[in-house]
Amino acid sequence: MLKRNIFAVLLVASLPMAAHAADSYTMDPAHTYANFTISHLGFSTMHGRFDKSSGKVTLDRAAKHGTVDITIESASVSTGFAKRDDHLKSPDFFNAAEFPSITYKSSAVKFKGDVPASVEGSLTMLGVTKPVTLTIDAFKCGAHPMNKKELCGAAASAQIKRSDFGIKFGLPAIGDDIKLDFEVEAYKD
Amino acid sequence: MRELLNHPAVQGGLAPFVVALIVAELLQRMRLSGLAIIAGFAATVYLVSGFAFDPLTASRKIVLLTLAASLFALPLMFFNPRWLRGLLAIAGGAAAVWVMQRILQQQAVSPMLLWGAGCAAYVGWLVFWMDGLHESSMRAASAGVGLGMGTGLAALFGASALLGQYGLALGAAAGAYLLIQMLTNAPLPCGRSITLPLSLAAGLIACLAVLTAELPWYVLPVLATIPLAAKIPVPAKQALWIQSALLTIVTLACAAGAVYLTWRVAGAPPI
Repeated sequence: MLKRNIFAVLLVASLPMAAHAADSYTMDPAHTYANFTISHLGFSTMHGRFDKSSGKVTLDRAAKHGTVDITIESASVSTGFAKRDDHLKSPDFFNAAEFPSITYKSSAVKFKGDVPASVEGSLTMLGVTKPVTLTIDAFKCGAHPMNKKELCGAAASAQIKRSDFGIKFGLPAIGDDIKLDFEVEAYKD
Repeated sequence: MRELLNHPAVQGGLAPFVVALIVAELLQRMRLSGLAIIAGFAATVYLVSGFAFDPLTASRKIVLLTLAASLFALPLMFFNPRWLRGLLAIAGGAAAVWVMQRILQQQAVSPMLLWGAGCAAYVGWLVFWMDGLHESSMRAASAGVGLGMGTGLAALFGASALLGQYGLALGAAAGAYLLIQMLTNAPLPCGRSITLPLSLAAGLIACLAVLTAELPWYVLPVLATIPLAAKIPVPAKQALWIQSALLTIVTLACAAGAVYLTWRVAGAPPI
């Protein structure tokens, strides 16, 4: 009788924990990209992206809680012109040899209903960390039509000033404002 | 005015030249004309990147060490033992390793040791041989023009405009210092306040451009010939401006070789 009661207490006590267990997702590097746009001399907008990103996401829709952790290889910057890419990797801009990673770590995920709407966190570039909020523009979870694995995808954006991170070369001719667009696909672990 | 000061040619060329010209002329009587080099360099740093030192990146370490070297060189005007030259060269090599530390640590052991030793050797070499010119303002300035222009243009072609402007500023400042001597036909006070910061900065800039931009490593031995080229005998009976011109032509020829090698590999500079 005592053992049955203890068992029942333990079962009930474990229920809230099971209900609030977050799902963990690993980003698919083949479908996860950090893109950016910046004004070039006021004449046109340059588009670029980082070809190599990785990271983890946890999501608990019931508890409206989540985490985002992204690591971007700064040397993977690509703008479609090799000489410009070399320049972007140099100490003038992303200084990839000295700071090989750009990271984003969340501190809070805000939900609208049961869908994440924004992520508050910190972006670290060139050894400087600044708070950056990502606005989630699109979000979808479901089974991948081919491999049937559970997949979540999201589009998130933010605006930063590169001078806040010490990237001052070419100001103001090359714009200070950078629009970041993250396209993420992550498989459930 | 702001638009003018934002122009790269002004930031890396005209501004350091004018500042160095003024400083060399103003400090002539105090025998501190050599500070013209650091003044010109500092003007470019102010215009291009400012004097922030946090976080202390490799390029910011170069700025810090160059400023420190110019201050450190002042008391050396009164202190000139024979062993000092070797000690300065060793210190230059150690400075190179400190500047490149974070970059070297990202690499495997063998390349880390190779690149570290190479950078230390290059900077130490420049400091040693440039120090041998510290008693001849004409030779030191001619070497400074070649080393600054060669390092700056090679770094620019090697895809780092920031390092390129730092190097060109050294060349422009040395050019201003040399121009005063050519126009007045009289040497300016020299000393290690020219040779130490100039050789240290030029060496560190080139090493950083090799490790972080697209400057080929084999350009460094070409640049390393410049202090030796500035020692060639010139007709002593000729006017100072002729001697200076001859020396500068030779050092610039070495610099041109370095730039040409870089251009062959890396192509046109990024714009």
